[in-house]
Amino acid sequence: MPEIEVAGLVRTFADIRALDDVSFNVADGELFTLLGPSGCGKSTTLMSIAGFQTPNEGRIAVGGAPIFDASRRLNLAAERRNLGIVFQSYAVWPHMTVFDNLAFPLKVRKLKRKDIGTRVREVLELVDLGPYEKRYPHQLSGGQQQRVALGRALVYSPSVLLLDEPFSNLDAKLRERARTWVKDLQHSLGLTTIFVTHDQDEALSMSDRVCVMNFGVVQQIGTPEEVYRKPANRFVAEFVGQVNLIAGTVAGYENSIAIVDVGESARALQVRVDLAPQPRSSVTVAVRPEALIIEAADFATHNGSNTLSARVTSVAFLGDHYQYELDASGLVLTAQSAHQVGSEEVKVHIPPDACAVVA
Amino acid sequence: MQAAVWVLVVGLVIGPFIPMLYASFRDRPLYEAGGVFTTHAYSQLFSDSAFWHAWLNTLEYATLSTAMAVAGGASAAILVSRTNLPFRSAYGRLLLLPILLPPLGVVLGWIVVWGPGGYLTNLFSQRLHVGTLAIDTIPGMSLIEASRLLPVAYMTCEAALSRADSSLEDAARSAGAAPLKVLRKVTIPMLRPALLNSATLIFTLSVASLGIPLLLGTPRNIKFVSSYLYLQWTNAAQPDPATVSAGAVLLLLVATALLLLRNRLLGAEARYVSIAGRAGRTAMLSLRNWRWPLALVIALYLVFSTLLPVLGLAVMSFVVVLTPLVAPWKLATWSNWHQLTTGEFHRAITNSLEISFVGAILATALVAIATLVAHRSRFPLRKALPFVMLYPRATPGLIIGIGFFWTYLLTWGIGSWLRGSIWGIMLAFVVRNLPFAYVVMYPTLARIGEELDRAGRAAGAGWWRTSRSIVLPLLRPAIFSAFILMFVEILCDYDPALFLVKPGNEVIGTTMLSQFIQGMVGPVAALAMVQVVVTLVVLAIGARLFKTGVTGGHDA
Repeated sequence: MPEIEVAGLVRTFADIRALDDVSFNVADGELFTLLGPSGCGKSTTLMSIAGFQTPNEGRIAVGGAPIFDASRRLNLAAERRNLGIVFQSYAVWPHMTVFDNLAFPLKVRKLKRKDIGTRVREVLELVDLGPYEKRYPHQLSGGQQQRVALGRALVYSPSVLLLDEPFSNLDAKLRERARTWVKDLQHSLGLTTIFVTHDQDEALSMSDRVCVMNFGVVQQIGTPEEVYRKPANRFVAEFVGQVNLIAGTVAGYENSIAIVDVGESARALQVRVDLAPQPRSSVTVAVRPEALIIEAADFATHNGSNTLSARVTSVAFLGDHYQYELDASGLVLTAQSAHQVGSEEVKVHIPPDACAVVA
Repeated sequence: MQAAVWVLVVGLVIGPFIPMLYASFRDRPLYEAGGVFTTHAYSQLFSDSAFWHAWLNTLEYATLSTAMAVAGGASAAILVSRTNLPFRSAYGRLLLLPILLPPLGVVLGWIVVWGPGGYLTNLFSQRLHVGTLAIDTIPGMSLIEASRLLPVAYMTCEAALSRADSSLEDAARSAGAAPLKVLRKVTIPMLRPALLNSATLIFTLSVASLGIPLLLGTPRNIKFVSSYLYLQWTNAAQPDPATVSAGAVLLLLVATALLLLRNRLLGAEARYVSIAGRAGRTAMLSLRNWRWPLALVIALYLVFSTLLPVLGLAVMSFVVVLTPLVAPWKLATWSNWHQLTTGEFHRAITNSLEISFVGAILATALVAIATLVAHRSRFPLRKALPFVMLYPRATPGLIIGIGFFWTYLLTWGIGSWLRGSIWGIMLAFVVRNLPFAYVVMYPTLARIGEELDRAGRAAGAGWWRTSRSIVLPLLRPAIFSAFILMFVEILCDYDPALFLVKPGNEVIGTTMLSQFIQGMVGPVAALAMVQVVVTLVVLAIGARLFKTGVTGGHDA
């Protein structure tokens, strides 16, 4: 049984559909990410699960028990859903000490004083805040405040953890550390988690599965590799990382390889596909810049199929790689290479396996 | 809980108008048995030329007051926040003084100093043979009203200016515009919403004003709508409550229309301007040779409009008669102050302090919870609450007085108990001043992130538990400011009480008014000084304990 079941959520604001038939299931212990640009509906979805937004249609169940069902007018109050949530601003209560922040959910649940003390200290250890229990939030760093928020969301052993862009207020260095730390913690606790972010690196590096959203519509659900390598459509291809989009026409198909004519001179490009495309239909082929293999024209090892001659129009050095802008007889491509090519004239090879046909 | 608070607030604010409306359509006062439906009161009112005449006077008075207050307030705001005027930060604070001082006391001070037979009036005419402005004319009265309401315009404009990004003006200067041109083309156009906003509010408040028309207009037989209704209620040989109620209903309609107009002029949030600190803004406009003359003009304004009236009251309270013919110290006496320790004066002081304290607590508690219901709950009717809480600001005090009079009359035991005690007056004062507590509380609440209470809900606490443990503690500074402000406002309020007062439950304001009309100027001056001193002391304590703008609310 899926731990979280979201089915057919619709939320309209005036005449805008903020959520348009959003459905997904999250398995027990999974870290599931909602990824998308701002305004795509990912936070609205999360807040609907948390109980702070009321969708117009749809159903949400946690552990098999419905918490929201528009058709039955069931809408469990946020405080009765027993979910842990970490807000973007952390929302650590400024007038309470770290200890009191964590103790509050337990006081509400009417635990005994002694048990509260034990449990709070246990969780403070878990989030590495043991020595800080008497501090007030303003005496803590951003990263520590975030851990208070996380501790507060975990202290009452919720069935599900919801994270709303928890790393967006941290600086770049700290963010990377926090990511690993949260992922490890989530994994060791085996806690079913829904995570909202607009940062594709975050989504790819942390998630078991990613749900890409745009304009309130689910675009693709899959593992980070699937979403990155086999984007379901143009939007996913462009949003998750850099991509070359090459327009073409389907010319043939054989043994999972489609032949697509691309560019002005209609060169044939082999593309590995799962399903046979409609013959003569217009398609877009997506390929990541780092998947392209570029070599100086004079020393090229690749030749023949899927290899184009191109001219370098610009080079940028980005630390761990070089980025090349190429012009292959009118076809503009971006390629990345760990090594400098050192030639104006290059051969660029497009591996059929690295290509995806997007709508 | 949410529903109960909603019903209480709406009931208290809107409820009293219903009996008033009912009373205006009956052929005899509600306290007499029988009575049938009739529109007689309205036709009576419309056929009374004195009523129309009163409207004309009111219109002239309100227009003049508004023009003077807005022009003065806006100029002062620009001078203080956008020029290199000397002492501008001190002026910034002093210009707010008139609104902090008890309005009735200041009016009495004006009369003592500048009124017919006033100290300076006599001094100027008898010694220097120079006439002074007669303040018992409509322009004269509007001058007093304008000086009372100038801070409203000043605060609104000042807030707009300090919120407006001064880089807009810097950009215009970089683009080559001279300072005066920037003022004309950028600064003043930016102020337009603030000007419209404060003008509508000041107009409404001067239409509703009762003290000045009553004290200065009535002796000269210049009637205004407010004083016309009050005199009909009290002085007429045959009191005609139905007609007065009808007049009050009409006045309420006008005030409500003005409030709706004002809401339309404003964006939803602009209604709650909060005064931000004036942190190290560089002076934009150099006044050059005008620096000191303009500083002197403001100083003179402050001296003549505020300092002298209060000083006049202070001196008055220590002398038998205040006259330029005899030096004040030859007429010194303690008897004015001595009278405060006995009889009606003493009763008024203790009553006022009692209702101010209890009323401020009740109002603050009610508004705190109602503000949470309005902005931090899912209560279906919550959207109506902000409007309802701001509504009394537009409602003339005498209408609230009349409304509560009829309400107490119609609510059997509890009503008659309220009518016979000071608590009835307290309730009217509380309702009248609700908006001040709300406008102090709302901006603070808006700054408390909603995620903080959502975190409480997610942690398993219900609405009330979350409010109690998280939101209200965070709101504490605003709650305290609101309490201080409510205490002062209730202490200084008077006009609703004029319709509710009975021997035994007098408050400072009603006693000042009635005793002044009877000629007891000395003790009244002493009483006004008590009000002034208590007000200033309470505000000083408030400002010291919490460095939040206790005055921040007045401009809403």
